[in-house]
Amino acid sequence: MKMEQYLLKGTFSVLFLCMPLMIFSQGTITGKVTDADNLPLPGVTIIEMGTNNGTTTDFDGEYSLNVQNFPATLQFSFLGYATVERSVTGPTSLNVVMEESATGLEEVVVTGLGTSIKRSNLANAVATVSSEELVGTTAQTTVDGALYGKVPGVNITSSSGAPGGGFALRLRGVSSINGNNQPLIIVDGVYYNNVEIPSGLRFASGANRGNEENASNRLADLDPNDIDNIEVLKGSSAAAIYGQRGNAGVIIITTKRGKLGKTKIDFSQDVGFNTIMNPLGLRPWTAESVESVFDATERAKFEATISERGSLYDYEDIIYGETGLITETRLSATGGNEKTKFYLGGGYRDEEGIIKNTGFDRLSLRVNIEHRISDVFDFTSTTNYTRSNSSRSFTGNENEGGLSYGYTLAFTRPWNNLFPDENGNYPNNPNYPGNPIFVRDNAKNEDSNNRIVQGLSLNTKLYTDDVNRVRLVFSGGLDYLANQTYVYVPETHQAQIGGQGGFIAVGKNNFTQWNGQAIAIWNHDAMQGDLGLTTQAGITYLDQEANLVNSRGALLAAGQTSVDQSVNQTIDQFRSEEQDFGYFAQVEGNYKDRFIATLGYRLDKSSRNGDPNKFYGFPKASLAVNMTNFDFWNVEAISQLKLRAAYGETGNPAGFGATFTSLGTSNIGGNIGQSVLGSKGDPEVEPETAQELEVGFDMGLFGNRVSIEATYYNKQVKDLILTRALPASSGFTQETTNLADLRNQGVELALQSIVFDEEDFSWKSGVQFYLNRSEVTRLDVPAFPQPGAGFGLGLGTFFIEEGKPVTQLVGNLDLDGDGTSTPTQVGNVEPDFQMAFNNNMTLFGQVDVSFLLQWKKGGENLNLSKFLTDLGQTTPDLETAAGQERLGTPANALRFVEPAGYLRLREAAVYYRLPSETISSLFGDTVEGIKLGVSGRNIFTITDYSSYDPEVSVNGGAGLSSGIEVTPFPSAKQFYFHLNVNF
Amino acid sequence: MKSIYKKLTTLMGVCTILFMVGSCSIDEVVDPNGPSVNGVQNNASKGQLNELVVGVESTMRSGLGIETTASGTMARELYLFDADPRNTGDLLGKDGIGLDNNSFYSTAQWNGSYRCIKNANLLINGAANTEAVTEAERNGYLGYAKTVQAYEFIQLLKSYGRVRLDVEDPDNLGPILEFDQAMAEVRALLDEAQGNLSAAGASFPFSLSDGFEGFDTPSTFLQFNRALAAMAAVYDGDGAAALTALSNSYFDLNGDLTIGPKHVFGLGGGDQPNPVFRVPSTPENVNNGDQIIVHNSWIADAEAGDTRVDAKTAPRPDPSSQDGLSGTHETRLYATNVSPIDILRNEELILLYAEASILAGNLQDAEDALNIIRNAASLPDYGGAQTAEALTTELLRQRRYSLWCENHRMFDLRRYGLSSTLPIDRPGDQIFNVLPVPLSENE
Repeated sequence: MKMEQYLLKGTFSVLFLCMPLMIFSQGTITGKVTDADNLPLPGVTIIEMGTNNGTTTDFDGEYSLNVQNFPATLQFSFLGYATVERSVTGPTSLNVVMEESATGLEEVVVTGLGTSIKRSNLANAVATVSSEELVGTTAQTTVDGALYGKVPGVNITSSSGAPGGGFALRLRGVSSINGNNQPLIIVDGVYYNNVEIPSGLRFASGANRGNEENASNRLADLDPNDIDNIEVLKGSSAAAIYGQRGNAGVIIITTKRGKLGKTKIDFSQDVGFNTIMNPLGLRPWTAESVESVFDATERAKFEATISERGSLYDYEDIIYGETGLITETRLSATGGNEKTKFYLGGGYRDEEGIIKNTGFDRLSLRVNIEHRISDVFDFTSTTNYTRSNSSRSFTGNENEGGLSYGYTLAFTRPWNNLFPDENGNYPNNPNYPGNPIFVRDNAKNEDSNNRIVQGLSLNTKLYTDDVNRVRLVFSGGLDYLANQTYVYVPETHQAQIGGQGGFIAVGKNNFTQWNGQAIAIWNHDAMQGDLGLTTQAGITYLDQEANLVNSRGALLAAGQTSVDQSVNQTIDQFRSEEQDFGYFAQVEGNYKDRFIATLGYRLDKSSRNGDPNKFYGFPKASLAVNMTNFDFWNVEAISQLKLRAAYGETGNPAGFGATFTSLGTSNIGGNIGQSVLGSKGDPEVEPETAQELEVGFDMGLFGNRVSIEATYYNKQVKDLILTRALPASSGFTQETTNLADLRNQGVELALQSIVFDEEDFSWKSGVQFYLNRSEVTRLDVPAFPQPGAGFGLGLGTFFIEEGKPVTQLVGNLDLDGDGTSTPTQVGNVEPDFQMAFNNNMTLFGQVDVSFLLQWKKGGENLNLSKFLTDLGQTTPDLETAAGQERLGTPANALRFVEPAGYLRLREAAVYYRLPSETISSLFGDTVEGIKLGVSGRNIFTITDYSSYDPEVSVNGGAGLSSGIEVTPFPSAKQFYFHLNVNF
Repeated sequence: MKSIYKKLTTLMGVCTILFMVGSCSIDEVVDPNGPSVNGVQNNASKGQLNELVVGVESTMRSGLGIETTASGTMARELYLFDADPRNTGDLLGKDGIGLDNNSFYSTAQWNGSYRCIKNANLLINGAANTEAVTEAERNGYLGYAKTVQAYEFIQLLKSYGRVRLDVEDPDNLGPILEFDQAMAEVRALLDEAQGNLSAAGASFPFSLSDGFEGFDTPSTFLQFNRALAAMAAVYDGDGAAALTALSNSYFDLNGDLTIGPKHVFGLGGGDQPNPVFRVPSTPENVNNGDQIIVHNSWIADAEAGDTRVDAKTAPRPDPSSQDGLSGTHETRLYATNVSPIDILRNEELILLYAEASILAGNLQDAEDALNIIRNAASLPDYGGAQTAEALTTELLRQRRYSLWCENHRMFDLRRYGLSSTLPIDRPGDQIFNVLPVPLSENE
C-alpha cells in the first residue's frame, strides 16, 4: 500500500500535521533528518506507509512519530531530495540522511488544475526547469531568454537584441498561425499577460505594422530570480485541462515560497557588461573600388577622409560598439513557522545596451505568504509589483524614416563625417535621410510599465477520514499592467525637416486580467489502499480587458517633447474585452504505482468565438505503466522503466475582432468619413483545436544515475484559423477564418547522468535532442503568402500551402527561365533538430563549473538586411569576387535565403564557495555562506549565417514571424561577476 | 460511512450552486472600436450615408503615391530613391528580374482603388435600402458613387490593363475583363451615373471637401462625370463621343488650366498627407534618401524655354547615385505635404480635346489646342506637319511635360505601342509597361 502519491508534498505537507491521529497501543520513533552536509532539513514529510499517519520535521530537522503497529515502514520525502524508506520493528531513534535528488523523479508536477503528481508517475513528458537551472549558471534578463537549451521541444527565437528582450516561444512547433502562438503563461495561478505593445513608432519610421516596431513582450516584467520552478506542458495531451487556452502549450511558473525554519537572508550582487556578439565589419574600401562603385567625387571624399584621419568612420562600431554596464542587486528573506511561511524578494536590475542611450531596468518586489488559518483553511497569497523601463531606440524595418540604424548604416558611406560640430550641429547624412549619431543622441523610443500581479488561493479541507480526503480550492488572481510608450523624433531630425516636422507618440495602455477557479478535489483510497483515486471538478473564468490609446503629434515646437506642443495631432484608440468560461473534471487512478491512468474533460466557451455561448469539449486520457514496480521486475541495472501514453485536445479561439467586419474612420477636408477596413470578419468563426497523442518511455539506470526520457508526439491542429489574403477587388484584403489543418510531429530525447559522484569531484551531464516536422494537411483555399509576415513573394515570405511545412519560406522564382515566376520554396525556418548539452561539475566541494552548449542544426533565414547593404554597397564582402557575383543576381528570395544553424556556448560559469571555516573565522556566525563567481551568456557562436545573429525576427514574436531579418538590434553577449551572501 | 455520503452530497450541492452561479452567459460581442459594415446597409441614416460619401472621397487617394511613382519609374519619368530597393530594382527589371504580383507596387493601387470602389458600393446599397432619403437625394448618392467608381476603374485599367468590374458581392466576384470590354462598361457606368445626377435635384444631401469646390452640386458634379466620360472615350478610341462629352464638361480652351476637382490632403486624424510630395533638398539639408529623382531624359528632351521644367523640378545640390542610377534634378511638383493633387484639370481636358480631335480627324482643332498648351509653357506655336501622326507625337510630347509624374506616361506609351522606345539606364534592365494583377485575385 502506498499512500504518498496522493499527498501533496511541499506546499501541502503541513496538512498532515492537522490530521486526526488515532492513537492506540503505539511506540514512538524519534530522530533527526539531515542533508548530505549534515545540515538539518526542516519540513520533511514522514509517513507511516499504508496509513494516514505522518508528521514533518521541525526547524532542527527533528521529528517524533507515533506508530501503531510494528513492524512499520517509514517514508521520508522532501521536494528535491530522493525519498528514503526505512523499516522499523519497534520504538527507536532513527536518524536519516537525505540526498539531493539526482534525477528529479521525486519532484511533483502539477498536472490537474488543483492537483499534482510525482514525476515518476507522470504520463507526459513535462519539462521542469528549476531555479538553479534557470538562473543558477548566469544572470538572466527575462524568463523566456533564460529557457534556451533547457527544455526539449521548445524553440525560442529572439526578435531583438535590445535589452529587455523580445522573444518568441514555440512549444512543439507552430500550432496557430494567426491566433495566439505563444504559450499560455500562468504564474502562481494567475494568467500572465505577455503582450507586445506597439508604440506608434511606425508613424515616424514608415514601418508597415505595429509588429515591426521592435517592442518587447511583457514577460520581461517577471524577475527570473523570483522563480522556484517552471513546468512546461508542451502539447495538448498535457495541457488539455487548460482547454481552449492550451493550444500552444502552457508554462506554469511557481515563484519561491517561504521555508519552515530560521529566517534566511540572501543577498546577491551581479556586475556585468553587454557587448556586441558578432560585429560584421566594414567593407574594406579602396580608392579604386569607391570610384568604380560610385564616381570620382566620392573617391575624392574617401581620400580626403583617409588623409584627414587615417581611417574610415566605422559607424557599426560607433553605433553598436558600446559596452553596456549591467548591475543587479537582490535581497530576499525567507522563513516561517508552522502557521505562516513567507518569502520576500526584491531585485533591481539595470542594464545598458550596446547602443548608447538604450537600456532596460526593472524593480521587482515580491511577497509570498502561506498561512494556515485552522485545520480546515489555509491560503497562499503571492504579490508582485514590477516597475520596468526600457529604451530600445530604433531598429528593424522602416520606410524613409531615417531612424532605424541598420537601414541608415546600410546606405551611409563611411567617408562622411556625421559627428556634430563644436556647436553641437549634426551634419546631414548625404546618403540617407537620417544621421544615426543624431538619432542615437536625440531621438527616443521608450516604454515604462507598472504592474501588479496578485494571486490568491484558498484551500479548504472539507472532510478527511481513513480513505477519503475532500478539499475545495478557490484560486484566482489579477494581472494589471499600466504601460506607457513614448516615441520622440526631434523636428531637427533630417527626415523630419520639411516633412512631418518632428514627431511624438505617447501611448497609454492598460491591461486588466482577472481569472478565477473553484475546484473540488476528492482523494479516495480504494482496494485497501492499492488503488488511489483523485477526482476533481471545477469551473474557471477569465476576463481580459485592454484599452490602448496612442496620441501623436507632428510639427513640433522647437525642442518641445510634449504631445500638445504640436500642430497636427491624432489619436488612436483600441479597446478589447474577452471572457472565457469553462468547466472541467478529471479522474486519476493509481494502482500501486504500477498503473497510473487519467481521464479528463473540459468544456469551454469564449467571447472570441462566433457563438460566444457555445461550449467546446476537450477530452484527455493518459496511462503510465511503471514496469519496475511490478513484482516480476528483476533487472537490477534498470531502476526505473516507465511506459507512457497520453492523448489530449486543446483549443484556441480566434483573435479578438475576428468576428467583426467594421468600418474605420477615413477623413478628408475636415469631414468625418467611414471606410471599410482591410479585413473581413467571420461571425461564424470556431476555435482551432489540436489533438495530440504522445507516447514515450522513461528509464533510469544504475540506481537512476543515468536517466533517459524519450517521447514521440503527433499533434493535429484542426480548423486552423488563418488570415488569408482575399481578392482585394472584393474591397477586403484579408479575412480570418477556419481554413486548414496542420500536423506537427516530433521526437524529444533527454539523457541525464551523474558521471562522477565523488567527494572531490562530481559531474552531472545532460543531453537533449529534439526535432519537429510540420505539414499543412488541409487547405480550403489556394496557397497564399501569409499576410503580415515577410515582404511578399518578391523577396520571400511564409507561404501557406497544402502538403508543405507551415514554416516554409517561399519566393517567386523563374528557375526554368521561361519568363514566368512561380512560388517556389527556398527554405524552411524550422531547424532539422536542436540539441543542448549541459554540464555541472563540482570540484573539492567548493568550485562549481557549469556550461550549456546549444546546437541548432539546419533551418534557414531570409537575410534582407543584406538586400539593403548590397544596395548601399556596404556589405563587408563586396570587395570579394563572391560578393560581386551576388550583386549581379536578381534580388529575389533565393538570393537572400541563408542557413541559420548555429552552435552556441549559451551559458558558462565558474563559482567558488568559501569554505565554512574561512567564513566563520572572518564573520563569525553572522554569515552562513559566501559564493563568488564569473559567468557569461552567448559567449561564442559558430554559424554560417552572415548577419548578427541567426536568432532574429523582424515581425516580433506573434504568429509566423521568426527567421526574417531586416536590420535588427544586434544581439549582445554578456559577462558577469557574481557575489552571493547568505545570512 | 453514512456521514461521508452526507458530506459528499453537501459538497456536490455546493459545487452545483457554484457552477450555476458561475455559468453566466457571455454577451454577444459588439466591436467597441468602430461601426459595423452591416449597420449601414439597412435603414441607414442620412448621417451614416454622408460618412460613407466622405469615406469614398477620402479613399480615392488610397494607393495614389505608389501608383504614381511606380508607373513613373517604369516609364522612365523618374526614380524613387528610398528605403525600398525594389523601386530601383524590380520596376526597372534590374538584372532580368520580373515584376512580382505580390509586392507593394503591384498591390497598393489595386487594394486602394478597390477599397474606394467597395465604399462606393456600400453607399449605393445603403442609399438604395433606406427610407431616410428622398428619391432625388438617392439619385445624388448613386450618381456620385458610380462616377467615382468609374474613375477608379479607369485608373486601374491604366495600370493593369485589365479590371474586375463586378465586385458588389465579395463572395461572388465577376470575371476580370480585358481592356476594351471593361472600358466600354465603364463608359456605360458613367452614362448611368449621368442619369442619376440629372435626377438629383439642385443640391446634394451631402458635402464634399474643398477639393470639389465648384463641382459639389448635381449639375456641376455632372460636368466632372462628363470629363471622365471624355477621357474614357479617348482611351476607348472614340473621338466623336469624347468631343460631345467634353462639351458638357468644364473643358475650356481659354480657361484656367488648373480648374478641376482635386484630391486634398491633411495631417489630422484619419486624413492623409500628399504621398507624392518629397522634401526639397537645400544645400544645407540634402535629401537624397527619400526623393523623387527626375529621369535625366526628361530634362534633356525638353524644348528650350519650356517653363514646365523649372516649375516642376529643381537641380539637386548633391546628386548622389543609388543602385547605379542618378539624375541631376529632383521633384518640385508639390510645394508642401498638404498640397492638393489634381484629379482631372482643364489642362488635361485640353490635351484630351486635342487627342479626340486627332481621332476625329479635326487636325486644326488639335493643333490649336496643343498650341494653347505650348504657349502656356512659354513655347512658340507648333511648327511641325499637320498630320495625324506628327500631331500625335506632339500630343504625347505635351502630355509628357504637362502631366509629368501624374501617372500618365506609362499608359500613354503603352496605348500607342511606344514603350519599347524608352531608354535603358543599366545593362540588364528591362521595360515593363503594365502591372501584374495581384496574386490574391487567384487567377
